[in-house]
Amino acid sequence: MNRVDALIELDNVRKSFGDVPVLKGISMFVQKGEAVCIIGPSGSGKSTVLRCINGLIPVDDGFVRVGAHRVHEMRSEKQMRALRHQVAMVFQQYNLFPHRTALENIMMAPIQVLGHDRAEVEERARKLLKKVRLSEKADSYPGQLSGGQQQRVAIARALAMQPDVILFDEVTAALDPETVKDVLFAIRELVEEGLTCILVTHEMKFAREVSQRVCFTDRGLIVESAPPAELFDNPQDPRTREFLGQVL
Amino acid sequence: MFGLDYSWLADPAYQQWLLTGVVNTLKLAALSSSAAILIGMLGALGLTLRIFWIDALIELFVEVFRNTPPLLQMLFAYFTLSSLGLRVTDPSTGLSVPLLSAFACAAISLSLFGGALAIEAFRSGIETMPRAIVDAARSLGYGRWARFWRIEAPIAARICLPGLTNILTNLFKTTSQASVITVPELMYYAGQIYNDTFRTLEVMILVLLIYVVLVSILTFAMARLEALMAFPGYGRGH
Repeated sequence: MNRVDALIELDNVRKSFGDVPVLKGISMFVQKGEAVCIIGPSGSGKSTVLRCINGLIPVDDGFVRVGAHRVHEMRSEKQMRALRHQVAMVFQQYNLFPHRTALENIMMAPIQVLGHDRAEVEERARKLLKKVRLSEKADSYPGQLSGGQQQRVAIARALAMQPDVILFDEVTAALDPETVKDVLFAIRELVEEGLTCILVTHEMKFAREVSQRVCFTDRGLIVESAPPAELFDNPQDPRTREFLGQVL
Repeated sequence: MFGLDYSWLADPAYQQWLLTGVVNTLKLAALSSSAAILIGMLGALGLTLRIFWIDALIELFVEVFRNTPPLLQMLFAYFTLSSLGLRVTDPSTGLSVPLLSAFACAAISLSLFGGALAIEAFRSGIETMPRAIVDAARSLGYGRWARFWRIEAPIAARICLPGLTNILTNLFKTTSQASVITVPELMYYAGQIYNDTFRTLEVMILVLLIYVVLVSILTFAMARLEALMAFPGYGRGH
């Protein structure tokens, strides 16, 4: 793969929390329009990779680029604003703002951060709510929504930033099984529309169906990276085989 | 009834004292509560800056005013501020009088006492902010200030409201100690009345009832505010 053409480029990224090394040299490239899943055991650094891509966690060493932004060189929140506009994130615990309605959660950042026109943002927000099939919940507060509904609002909130990339951090891990499929349906639509997505997930079946490439991480390294059919059916590394043997 | 004699209540002079006392108590409580909330907000905001010497100053302020008796603080303010030379010549009488009246001293010391407690309450609201909320705000591009005003402060205000109710009720009751430095509030006039009438028990029962009513109005209002501000779907917001 040509790394210069890649939308996202990580090269030998290292990160420790205190004395604990979490990322020990992660390198990966993601092309525009590509959907990449990151799988692997808990504590292998999956979520940390995502947080390094949008600058929520500063890297200790290595190179992180998203589009024209050299993330590893950014130090202040101000420098990161353009990056955050380009890269949105959806979290495991939804992380909606509890004091604002679903619609307001979606509208807040485009108005307050990007300075977009309120009327235009509201139209966009209502369209997005319709897209995640929650139009009737526009005026509900997060606490009045189920987990799956909150997560779909969170996806709409991410989309309202009109990002080039969305990072999904185990977005179905906190949901009950019957609501998982609504959320996965919404994500699948985005991937099919060609939005660049990086998904940390434990949903192996979904990873296989939706992604163009799957990366298996273990102990801070990407052990194996291949198209899903290859990685799931014919894993090369013994650690990948062991992991898949446990979860499949 | 029960041998209690309330005939003195018919005296317009005592009625006037009680009324003036209640009004001054309310004034003192309202003034010191508002100032305490303001001090609390500024202090908690100062602590979010994470600048060493600001932190140290605020911590010192909190330790001094939270850990000493409010009565002592009031006496201290009353006797030191006037003897430190903070006196002015009254233009109408030509007498040298303290710059700060007893009322002003009580209001200032109660504000600082309440403020120290409020700083701690607001700080706890900000510090218990879920990491997830902060991450979400940052990932949406919110800078530090916008994040504080738009997201953290509104959430923290709701988290610390029950604690603030406790502080304000305590502060209201502590206004009674201003009677010691001759602030003519309810407790002060109560003393005046029973010294006059020797009806100590009757006066105390009445004053007790007045405090119960006044503080209940405050706690009721705070409970309403809590219910209004509650996150729908959480706690009282159900």
